[in-house]
Amino acid sequence: MNPLPPVDVEPHPWRGLAWLTRRECHRVLKLWKQTILAPVISSLLFMVVFGLSLGDSIAEVNGFEYRVFIVPGLIAMAMAQSAYSNNSSTIFQARNDRYLDDILSAPMSAWQVHLGYLAGGAMRSLIIGVVLTALALPITGAPLELPLELILAVLLTIGGFGALGIIVGVYAQSWDNQSFINNIVILPLIFLGGVFYSVSRLGSPWEQISHLNPLFYVVEAVRYGFLGAADVSPWLSLGVVAAITFALLMWAQVLFSTGHRLKP
Amino acid sequence: MSQPATITPGNGPALAPAALSIRGLTKRYADGTLALENLDLDIPAGSFFGLLGPNGAGKTTLIGAVCNLIRLTGGEITVFGQPGSGMSARRMIGIAEQEPNLDKFLTVYETLLYHGGYYGMDGGEASERAEQMIDAFDLRAKRDVEAPKLSGGMRRRLLLARALLHRPRLVILDEPTAGVDLELRHELWRYIRGLHEQGTTILLTTHYLEEAEALCDEIALISDGRIVARDTAEGLKLSHGVDSLEDVYLRTVAGGRIAMDRLEEVE
Repeated sequence: MNPLPPVDVEPHPWRGLAWLTRRECHRVLKLWKQTILAPVISSLLFMVVFGLSLGDSIAEVNGFEYRVFIVPGLIAMAMAQSAYSNNSSTIFQARNDRYLDDILSAPMSAWQVHLGYLAGGAMRSLIIGVVLTALALPITGAPLELPLELILAVLLTIGGFGALGIIVGVYAQSWDNQSFINNIVILPLIFLGGVFYSVSRLGSPWEQISHLNPLFYVVEAVRYGFLGAADVSPWLSLGVVAAITFALLMWAQVLFSTGHRLKP
Repeated sequence: MSQPATITPGNGPALAPAALSIRGLTKRYADGTLALENLDLDIPAGSFFGLLGPNGAGKTTLIGAVCNLIRLTGGEITVFGQPGSGMSARRMIGIAEQEPNLDKFLTVYETLLYHGGYYGMDGGEASERAEQMIDAFDLRAKRDVEAPKLSGGMRRRLLLARALLHRPRLVILDEPTAGVDLELRHELWRYIRGLHEQGTTILLTTHYLEEAEALCDEIALISDGRIVARDTAEGLKLSHGVDSLEDVYLRTVAGGRIAMDRLEEVE
């Protein structure tokens, strides 16, 4: 063994963030069968079973073939769930095995740690979104009408659900806690948010009740980007998604800044 | 390279700041447990400092406070004159925690590489340093093995290699040789002694009193969240009128006093 003397250098302002981002992406790619392949197959099965098998027996929805109509919602659902589950599991695991200490004691500010953890979920979510889009458009014939609006909707969605994943990962006391939120809260709300149907067909009061579901606006914002049409104004859906995302990001930031539940 | 801040009292010579200066440190956990109570401690730069105390005395809480791993209830910490929560202070500290806390998705090499990155190294520098530490801690055969597949001794080596990778000025070792075989223990101490001779300040907690006595310039005894005695090993023995550090320990810390009284009753 040959020890070297200590060095006295100022910490680099952003390199820690770059390495934490790289570590989170490394984890996603290392577990690619679980993090990418499984959700892609699951969403494609929905498209095939509901869109291609049942599509011919269902009349057009809002002027679109059924198999086209469901594509945006299914892609939004896959991306939102992957951003959430990635971040909730990576944070919970780092807390549980206590290797989070190596991050918290490093010369990185709270916002850098926050951004680094968001990046892994965002990358996973974007890969899934791009793969599904590349497969679904030729299979179903769905259009991509407004790419800029779609990109905005997608970024807001993965930011919000990524932040929600971090929050749940910080508060979770067991693996069950985070899957509970996914299975009991996110999945039902997305299904009830009009992935497979247009809420305008529900009639009163169910249509109005559906408008209270925040995930309805996520589906509508992404659908508007793909199809150029939606049940509500794109400004309303983007505005609601942006407001929710902002609130969740602020909440997650407070957790990192104060160390609440991350540090005893 | 930045230079550490200096303190100049009056017109006298510039004094290097303490490696670690703690004032009024208090930590009360959410369940009401008072782990540290208004604790003051200065550790001179370049010293090899031992912190001894029974389980639950506050050693790990104190270390957590210095390393930004717990939320303080009150008090101030400075590291080489820099605020303890600041980035410069964190860059100067390396910690090997008592329990192995290794990233289960990373190999030995990746663990060291990413740690270097978190501490601001670029890819080339972090990689070069990781390879150096792999050789220094005899981890070459396990370079591409993931942490969960390592033996206890190898994990301990990796924890130390990680703590030292960014060449910190203050190294905090929390029970670094707990559960380590005799050969590795001596090997690790040789390396840590070498680091100390190169100018690194070492803060060590251990239950092996003979190790603390052999290695440390100064020893503080902590009990119930307070420093109850502090001196060289010889000074502690002299001031308590006993022949061994173990007797000082038993007389000084709360649980130990009871044990000592019982021993005297038996005698």
